[in-house]
Amino acid sequence: MLKRLVSTALVALVVLALLPAGGDAQAPGPIKIGVIQPLSGPVAASGNYVRMGAEIARDWINARGGVNGRRVELVIEDNKSDPKEAASAAEKLIVRDKVPAIMGAWGSSMTLAAMPKLEEYGVPMVVETSSAASVTKRGNPWVFRISPPSEMEALGLEQYVEKLGVKKADFLAVNTDWGRGSITAFGDMLRKKGVQVGAAEFMEQAATDMNAQLTKIKQTGGDTLFLTTAVEQITLVLKQGQEQRLARKIITTGGSSSPTQLIKQAGAAAEGSYHIVFFMPWFPEAMPDGRLARAFVDEWTKRGNPFEGLTEGFRGHDGVATIVEAVRLAGRDEPKAIQEALWKVSFTGVNGPIKFEKDGPAGKESGQSKPSIFIVQVRDGKVALPDFLKK
Amino acid sequence: MALGAVAAVTAPLWVANPYHLHVLIMAGIFTILALSLNLLLGYTGQLSLGHAAFFGIGAYTSALLALRLEWSFWLALPAAALASGLAGWAIGRLALKLRGAYFVLVTISFAGVISLVSINWMDLTNGPLGLPGVPPPALGPWTLRTKNAYWYLVLAGAALTYLVCHRLVTSRIGRALVALRENEPLAESVGIDGTRYLVLAAVVSAALAGLAGSLYAHYTRFVSPEVFLFSYTVTMVIMVIAGGQGTLAGPVVGALLFTVLPEALREAVAWQWQMLAYGVVLVLFVFFLPRGIVPTLAAWRRR
Amino acid sequence: MEQLLQHLVNGLVLGGTYALLGIGLTLIFGLMSVVNFAHGEFYTLGAYAAFAALAWAGLPFVAALLAAIAAGALLGALCERALLRPLRGHSIDTIMLVMIGVWIAMQNAELLAWGGVARSIPHPFPTAPLTLGPLNIAPLRLFVVLTAAALIGLAWLLIQKTRLGTAMRATFQDRDTAALMGVPIGRIHTITFAFGSALAAAAGALLGPVFLAYPSMGDLASLKAFSVVILGGLGNLAGATLGGLLLGVAEELGAGYVSSGYRDAVGFVAIILVLLFRPAGLFARAERIG
Repeated sequence: MLKRLVSTALVALVVLALLPAGGDAQAPGPIKIGVIQPLSGPVAASGNYVRMGAEIARDWINARGGVNGRRVELVIEDNKSDPKEAASAAEKLIVRDKVPAIMGAWGSSMTLAAMPKLEEYGVPMVVETSSAASVTKRGNPWVFRISPPSEMEALGLEQYVEKLGVKKADFLAVNTDWGRGSITAFGDMLRKKGVQVGAAEFMEQAATDMNAQLTKIKQTGGDTLFLTTAVEQITLVLKQGQEQRLARKIITTGGSSSPTQLIKQAGAAAEGSYHIVFFMPWFPEAMPDGRLARAFVDEWTKRGNPFEGLTEGFRGHDGVATIVEAVRLAGRDEPKAIQEALWKVSFTGVNGPIKFEKDGPAGKESGQSKPSIFIVQVRDGKVALPDFLKK
Repeated sequence: MALGAVAAVTAPLWVANPYHLHVLIMAGIFTILALSLNLLLGYTGQLSLGHAAFFGIGAYTSALLALRLEWSFWLALPAAALASGLAGWAIGRLALKLRGAYFVLVTISFAGVISLVSINWMDLTNGPLGLPGVPPPALGPWTLRTKNAYWYLVLAGAALTYLVCHRLVTSRIGRALVALRENEPLAESVGIDGTRYLVLAAVVSAALAGLAGSLYAHYTRFVSPEVFLFSYTVTMVIMVIAGGQGTLAGPVVGALLFTVLPEALREAVAWQWQMLAYGVVLVLFVFFLPRGIVPTLAAWRRR
Repeated sequence: MEQLLQHLVNGLVLGGTYALLGIGLTLIFGLMSVVNFAHGEFYTLGAYAAFAALAWAGLPFVAALLAAIAAGALLGALCERALLRPLRGHSIDTIMLVMIGVWIAMQNAELLAWGGVARSIPHPFPTAPLTLGPLNIAPLRLFVVLTAAALIGLAWLLIQKTRLGTAMRATFQDRDTAALMGVPIGRIHTITFAFGSALAAAAGALLGPVFLAYPSMGDLASLKAFSVVILGGLGNLAGATLGGLLLGVAEELGAGYVSSGYRDAVGFVAIILVLLFRPAGLFARAERIG
């Protein structure tokens, strides 16, 4: 009997699910901003930090009375770390929720998959994390990126190559667009500076044992290892490097490395490593807008968000702040108006000045801001500025 | 049945919202995939857990032919089906001698290798960066850019798949397959060459999955190694078994339901709970409808 | 040469952990014909149980390991009684589908409960490696391999030398005859599933401190476990052990000398080759348990 009942209920569920939902009338209310992040799946931690940062931006703006007298509302979608889901989420946000602008979608392959939808419906997206060069080179005028592509990051490091004493470098990167792009960009920059480039090794995204790669790298006799992957794998590489007595200067790229989490989880194995970051929550006063950065760190801590998420979370704040600034300049929340206003945006976010320059094929350029890039070092179990940067 | 067909053909009229039409198009593509997997799983009892490989090979073949050699979609589509069919033939020849759990593992491993090739063979596949900018199909002077046009294209693909499957399972070949599934020694004793029929089923099944891959590539206009994700295969398996394997209507119902369910959960449940709810609903389905939706409904009607 | 030796040591240590993952699954797969997609989730459960016991309750390392094993066995038994037993007699595909559901639900429940951030599990071993000439091995890894070997030995004893083991082997060979001979099949199934899950949880508790604990860690573990089962042959404990070692060494050498991008391909290719030439597993005399 119970079985029959539940079966009937399940069939009813099928029927209900298949019925198209009724169209709900669009009432003039808050300004909606779509957010697409990986909230589940292997990179869920990062996506959730970006979401937390975005929520801080929203709450601050609403506490100041919103924008153009209207409140800001975030419509958050999970892309499950899957490009197909990213495209579906973009479609849902634009068509069903009628958001006039989106921030997303963390990984480059997710962003690239969502991009045709932006063109199809004419809705702008602020890209907060993706680093693949192709994002702004595809001639999609609805894309505005505030994160640095790998080439820009490599150029940011160029001035420090001598000071870091890099003579022969090896690479170990996650086997994704990001890892591969990073090896190319940093490899080119180092060769140009006359640095020898040795091994370029890869690891799968889910891999946990990197001893084979490390044993191989050990044989090249280099002095520096460039490491590009998510913080979990960096932790594992540092720990396993210690087990293998790999004596290398380690530089992590990509800005997602969260040195605080490394110190917590890799312990002594993290000692001495250098990290390229786009936000320095350990000394917010050293950021371009010290007061804003300080306030962001305080608010983040007050909410009980984990400190190690700050190096990722600021992206969410800056992305939402960029869109809201464009809405303010446009004076209304229509996609086309926001897109035009994004070209006029010029303000300082947590990372630093945000201002878009044209990138990509003429006539259909995407926007690319030039973010600030910093380098920090783990010393005595704390995050510090490297000696050569100390005044 | 007829009602469903009418509803499908007129869908653009009553589905005003392009987002819902997008969900329907994805459901159509997955219908093709579920039908193709069902050919193997439902009619031969052999489970291919590497079906995403055939889907991905189709998607990549079609995208590469269109991008690198500027082939028209109408040529790239059959070429994609052909390439996947060839892969299906190779795997069938190699693995169907073994069957059962071993076939499952050969297909998983095959998909794993192909996926790694797509990530690492940068020159051909552009590696993890994927292939953006796959052109939409063109028909004479028109390009099928709109959702409505694409819906009819996918619908035609699904109808073709359904007809192929229907034709196959009601023919002598289909009866041979079922005979093999039910009692192989008996079937072989009356002169049915087991491996040959199973390979044939594998080729057709893979080719149809390749067709779906091509339709997917030209719809999303972006192909990346994620098309080989194990979760795609799992989704297809869920659709076939929950819908009712060994029936033709089962995979269609399953595909429709399990494309719509995650989207419905997006609406109904906060994102933290969506995947958890999905898993629980799945367990409940198996628990209360273990034979699948369509066979259970059919049994009720007979009573 | 030094590099080769280090690769071999790495491979054997890694392979030992694969073997531990594989033996639990080979019992479940072989004896119950359950394609257990949730196996890796019990591995994850073990890792988090160990984390809770060590970092929160402050238990010693061995107690944490036991706690993880208990948690795995308990949840495994529960899962078998609540889901698998009522579905017994249904096709292998139906049961696989239910395990897929359990896999998705468990993984996302873990994500909800623990968050997506990876946890580092504390352990009492020194981090500096033991050095033997040119070779390095971390004390923790050595401990893991030795414990894994001990657990595998215990499992073997249980199956070969006890009445329960005899009943399990009888069920594996011929379920119906065993039932006729008075073997309580239902109970044997519950015990087998609990035991297999407990071994997976033990692997999680042992490997959690070597690596990290995070919600999706079980996916890779399931994949490796399935590979090991096939390499070794269904229900073959010794086969799974050797298969695990072989897989570990093959991956390590593949990554070291061929291409690190194709590291996981080595395992897949090995499986395809083994299935084509030795379909009953590398070490099978005939299909049997033990």
